[in-house]
Amino acid sequence: MHLTPEDLIDIAEGERTEASAPHLASCAECRRQLVDLRAVMSTAADVEVPEPSPLSWDHLSARVNDAIAEEPAPAGWNWWLRAALPFALATAAAVVIALVATTRLIAPHVEPPPTDAFVAVPPPSARDTLAPDVADPSLAFVAELTQDLGWEETREAGLAPRGSAEHAVTHLSEDELRQLRDLLKEAMAKSSD
Amino acid sequence: MSSSLAWSLPGWPALSMTETETRSLAQLNDSALVAECLAGTPGAFDLIVERYRRPIYQVCYRFVGNHEDASDLSQDVFLRAYRGLKNFRGQAALSTWLYRIGVNVCLNRVSTKKPLDSTTNEPIETQNLIDATNDSPAERLMREEQSARVRAAIARLPDKQRATLILRTYHELSHQEIADILGSSVGAVKANFFHALANLKKILDASHA
Repeated sequence: MHLTPEDLIDIAEGERTEASAPHLASCAECRRQLVDLRAVMSTAADVEVPEPSPLSWDHLSARVNDAIAEEPAPAGWNWWLRAALPFALATAAAVVIALVATTRLIAPHVEPPPTDAFVAVPPPSARDTLAPDVADPSLAFVAELTQDLGWEETREAGLAPRGSAEHAVTHLSEDELRQLRDLLKEAMAKSSD
Repeated sequence: MSSSLAWSLPGWPALSMTETETRSLAQLNDSALVAECLAGTPGAFDLIVERYRRPIYQVCYRFVGNHEDASDLSQDVFLRAYRGLKNFRGQAALSTWLYRIGVNVCLNRVSTKKPLDSTTNEPIETQNLIDATNDSPAERLMREEQSARVRAAIARLPDKQRATLILRTYHELSHQEIADILGSSVGAVKANFFHALANLKKILDASHA
């Protein structure tokens, strides 16, 4: 039985030795095919692609750049997340406000101490009075995200100046903080889907 | 090299690359570079183009036989890659994925044009050749004429045989990589390669006769 095309290619390319195919020793036709294969492989391999001038490469890159400049940016998940971040924060803030409003209906109202500056995040002095859970990574994450928000983004996110219900979030009880943490995690998880 | 590509989305500032940032990106492997592209890092796709423009150009040249068409096709390959990058899952190597796009673009192009023959190759004197050998002009001319005959013969092969021969002979891709690119099996790739070489020999023998 003659060698298959796959056998001949393996032997011609050196993936198998001729000794591994005893049929070769006794078959002139298969030996001829092997010789022909090697010859035409060598002939084909000698054909080179003319190397264009070095400027051609930069020209090609420039043409690709120009073509891509007219395309919308590739929408990977990171782009979506970054574009949606203000809205995610607004959602999270709305959830916080809803929680505060709900708990105030069933728990004694806690008057926030007056502060002199509006903060979108709990001020250091307020943080010191909070339960140790304020060091929770979820809350720290929200604080970190919002600290660079400008006034317009803050307003759009639904955060309001001092004296408002929202400001009360800086003075939540331990139970309230735990509930807040859970709601924030849920809101962040939904925003990143 | 600092990138000239600056993306910007509405509301986001246009970003540009410093030399240091460019050098850092250049050290990333392909997977990380793709992630940077999808994250919108300026210059990331530039680097992908820089990394693969030569092999993609060479594949295209092998199919069409002239610099102008090869450049056009290469640009098309990278544009399609840019558009499809969000669908690249990393299951195959980036190079394999780009080769697949390249082969498809080339096969689509050659199927709409008449087969290349030795008279439609671009004249040697119009090619931007860089001769790195010490051949005499006569030897160089003979070598180029032989190359043109072989290229024309390859152009007459059936599509899959042609693609297999080009990818195996000139880009030294493994049989498995070629199978992934062409959507076939390793056995089919080897069989295609065998028949490509056998047919190439027949065409060359006929042209010499």
